[in-house]
Amino acid sequence: MEYLTWWKGALALGGLTVVCALMVGRMLGVSGAWANVVNWREEREKRKTAAALRSNAPAMQNALLAATLAQFGETATHQAFANQGITLPAQAATRATPTSGVRWTAHLTFLAAMVLGGFIAAIASGQFQIRLDLGAAHTRLFGTGIQEWLTLLGGGILVGFGTQMGGGCTSGHGLSGVSRLTPPSMLATAMFFGSAVAVSFIVEGFA
Amino acid sequence: MKLSPLQQHIRYGLVGMLMGITLSYIGFTNYNETHKMFLFADLRMLFTFAGAVAFAAFFFNFLVQGLPATNKHLHPGVIPGSLLFGAGWAISGACPSIALVQIGQGQLGAVFTAFGILFGVWSYRHVHRRFFRWDSGSCS
Repeated sequence: MEYLTWWKGALALGGLTVVCALMVGRMLGVSGAWANVVNWREEREKRKTAAALRSNAPAMQNALLAATLAQFGETATHQAFANQGITLPAQAATRATPTSGVRWTAHLTFLAAMVLGGFIAAIASGQFQIRLDLGAAHTRLFGTGIQEWLTLLGGGILVGFGTQMGGGCTSGHGLSGVSRLTPPSMLATAMFFGSAVAVSFIVEGFA
Repeated sequence: MKLSPLQQHIRYGLVGMLMGITLSYIGFTNYNETHKMFLFADLRMLFTFAGAVAFAAFFFNFLVQGLPATNKHLHPGVIPGSLLFGAGWAISGACPSIALVQIGQGQLGAVFTAFGILFGVWSYRHVHRRFFRWDSGSCS
């Protein structure tokens, strides 16, 4: 099919980044949505804990204290408070963790809607076709059948692991982070683009 | 921004759907196009991406007030993680959104990519806990 000219694509993709920020009040980021969905049980616990803490000031203070103790150690913390004339309770029980505040089910909707979006676009452009390969270039480089699928599985693992380790992906670091002029995102984008270029030239060399 | 559960579902659903359609019409879901981009054999999608960033940057920095916070921090995982991601993108043709859009288009090989991403995301949390000491600062 005839793909969008670069400036039309840029307007659409850039517009989407802006629309997401304005509509859901969070920067666009797909790897974060994956993390929320995959680790749903843990994220749900965090959300519950955060909500409970917000409605309970003593518990909140206790949690902050626990985090302080964990960070600086018992002796230093007690010393620091003693200097201000405050005596701390011997033991602080709970520990607070920050949370995103977005339900994992909403992020699941987000991911499922992308499948739907792909389906709509493929139907509308007459390109819908059930197939097991990724097209001529991929077949030429990585073969077909089980060989190609194992490549995809391995590549997927690298993508999942790498985006979590690096703290973002093409949308979170690339689109959102760089457009907000965030230095870590600029570094990450340079790294994953550079790495993808290098690996592409390498596999092309071996093909 | 405080949204009810239903509003969250509707808005995230709308953004996800638009994203799937946009990526399809740009060609980011076509491995042939992605591979040509990484070899600099065709600069169209590179310009598309750069243009999108420039367009969003113009909005974010000059037109829109009260933006949502960014949660991107510099930590020891940024460089190695991004290098791994780039390698995975080059051989699977997918970033975390692309694999899902490909499935919707009927490119069912991407089911393997999606399972890989699922496993990668799941395993990272455990690997991080076991081996890495830094705070990734990511609350999402």
